[in-house]
Amino acid sequence: MTNALEIKGLSKSFGKIKAVQNLNLSVLPGQVYGILGPNGSGKTTTLGMILDVVSPNEGSFSWFDNMPNVDARKKIGAILETPCFLPYLTAVQNLEIVAHIKKAGKNQIENVLKQVGLLERRNDKFKTYSLGMKQRLSIAAALLSNPPVLILDEPTNGLDPQGIAEVRELISEIAAQGKTIILASHLLDEVQKVCSHFCVLKEGVKIHEGIVSDTLEEINLVEINSNNNQLLNIKLEEFEGLDSIKPNGNTLQLQLKEGFSAKEVNEFCFEHGIVLKKLLTHTNSLEKEFLKILKDHD
Amino acid sequence: MIRVLKLEWLKVKNYRVFWVLTAMYLVALLIIASAGGLFLEWLKHQGADFDGIDPTILPIFDFPDIWQNITYLGSFVKIFLAFIVIISVNNDLTYNTLRQNIIDGFSKKEYLASKMMMIISMALISTLFVFIAGLINGSIYSHVFGTDVIFDEMEFLAAYFYEIVVYSTLAFLLALIIKKAGFVIVALFLYTIMFEPIAVAILENAPVFKDGVWPEIAQFFPIKSLNNLIKVPFGRYIFMEIEDNISLKAIAISLGWFVFYLSSISFILNKRDLK
Repeated sequence: MTNALEIKGLSKSFGKIKAVQNLNLSVLPGQVYGILGPNGSGKTTTLGMILDVVSPNEGSFSWFDNMPNVDARKKIGAILETPCFLPYLTAVQNLEIVAHIKKAGKNQIENVLKQVGLLERRNDKFKTYSLGMKQRLSIAAALLSNPPVLILDEPTNGLDPQGIAEVRELISEIAAQGKTIILASHLLDEVQKVCSHFCVLKEGVKIHEGIVSDTLEEINLVEINSNNNQLLNIKLEEFEGLDSIKPNGNTLQLQLKEGFSAKEVNEFCFEHGIVLKKLLTHTNSLEKEFLKILKDHD
Repeated sequence: MIRVLKLEWLKVKNYRVFWVLTAMYLVALLIIASAGGLFLEWLKHQGADFDGIDPTILPIFDFPDIWQNITYLGSFVKIFLAFIVIISVNNDLTYNTLRQNIIDGFSKKEYLASKMMMIISMALISTLFVFIAGLINGSIYSHVFGTDVIFDEMEFLAAYFYEIVVYSTLAFLLALIIKKAGFVIVALFLYTIMFEPIAVAILENAPVFKDGVWPEIAQFFPIKSLNNLIKVPFGRYIFMEIEDNISLKAIAISLGWFVFYLSSISFILNKRDLK
C-alpha cells in the first residue's frame, strides 16, 4: 500500500464561497498528519468530502489505493465536529449501532468505553452526558473497529484541560501503534505535540506543507553560557555558523546560520577549550511559524 | 437486507416514542377492524332506508366481503405509520445520525434501503394484523364458511399492504425535504384528510369542472390514487353497484407516484451535503 489517502484536485463551493480549492494531498500509512487552518479555512469540508458526506464539485480522492469508499469508511474511525448520537439511547446502545455498521464485534464496546473513561456511565442515556463526555463517546466510537486510519476533527473541542491532556496522550498512543491519523485543528499546540506532518489551509487553498520537526528547527536560536562569557563571546566571533550574537542576562543568545545547530556550537567550544555550563536550543513554536506562513500568503 | 433492517431495529428498539405510536396504531386498527357492528348501529341510527331491513343484520363480516370492508376501514389509520416514518427520518436529520451512519460505513443506498425495509416490515405486520382480525371477526360473525370463500379476494390485503408502503414512502420524502417533524406531520395530515379530498371533491362535483377533463385529472392526485385502490365497499349493502375489484388504473398511477417518491429520495440523499 503506497498511500493511505490520496486527494487530487478536490474543490467545493457553497454558493459563492469557495470552501476548498484544488486541493492535492497524500497521506502515507503511519503518518500523523495535521491539517491546520483558521476557522472557516475548509478543514471540515475537506474531511466531509473524503468521508462522502459532502459531494465535491471537482476532483477525486482514493483510500487505500482505490478501495471502494464504502468499504474504506468501515476501516476509518472518524470524528467530524460535533458528536452525533441518538439522545434516547445509552452509550452502549449507540455504539452497538456503530459496531453493526462497521461489522465489528460488540465485544470491543466495553474496551473502548474503558479507554475513554466512560465505562461507569455506559448505561446512561446520551442526552444526560456533558459536552466533554459526548466528545469522549465519539472518540470511543472512532476507536471501535480498531481502524487503521483515524480522522479527528478538533478532537479536544469541549474537553477540560485534563480531558485535553488525556485525549492527546491517547492520540500519541494510537500513533505509536503505527496507525495513520489525520488531525484537523486550529489549535497549533495540538498539532505540534502530536503530528509528524502538516499542511496549512487558508480560504480553501493549501498554502504550506511540511514536516513538523523541520519547521520547528528552522529558527536555530541557541542560548549558552560559560564561566567566562566575555571570552566566549570573542571566541565565537570566529565560529563560521554564527549569524548574530546577543547577550541576554548572564547568557548569550546565538542566532545560527542555516545548517548549523547546537551540536556544532558545542563542538566548536570544546575544540577551543571552553566548557559550556548551559546549552539550550530554542525551538520555534508552530504558532509563530503558522502566523508567518499565513502572513506570507496575504 | 437483514443487515440494513437491523440498523433500523437498533435505532427503534429502545425508543419509547416508537412503541407508543405503534401501540396506538395497533389499537386503532383493532378498533376499526372490529367495529363494523358499531358502524351498522350507526347506519341504523341514521335511519338508512333498507326497505325495512334492520341494518345490523347486514353481512359485513361475511367472507369474502369482509376483506374489502376491513382493509378499506383499516387504511384510514395508515397515517400513524407515516408519523413513525417521519419521526424516524427526522431523528436522523436533527441528531445527524444519517451523516454518522454514512461516515461509519453505510452507503446512501443502504440508508434508503434500511428505511424502506422498515416501512415494508411495518406494512407487513399491519397487513398480518388485519388478516388475523379479519379471520377472527369472520369466524364469529360470518354466515358463510369454507376455504374457497375465506381466502377469496385476498388481493385486498395485497392492495392494503401496497397502499401503506406507498403512503409511508411519501412521508419519508416529505420528512427529508421539510426536516421539521411537527410541520411535516401537520402538513401531511391536513393534506391527506382535507386539502386533497376537498380539491378532488370540487373537481369531481363542481358544475364548472365536472363535465370537462377535471374529474379525470383528480384521479391522478397522490392520495386519491391510493384511495382508489380499495373503494368504499358499503354501497353494496344498500343495493348500489360498487367496485369490488382493485382498479389497475389506480395501481398504475400510484406506482408512478411510488417511483417518483423513491427517485426523489435517492436524488436528495445523493445531492445533499450532510453538514
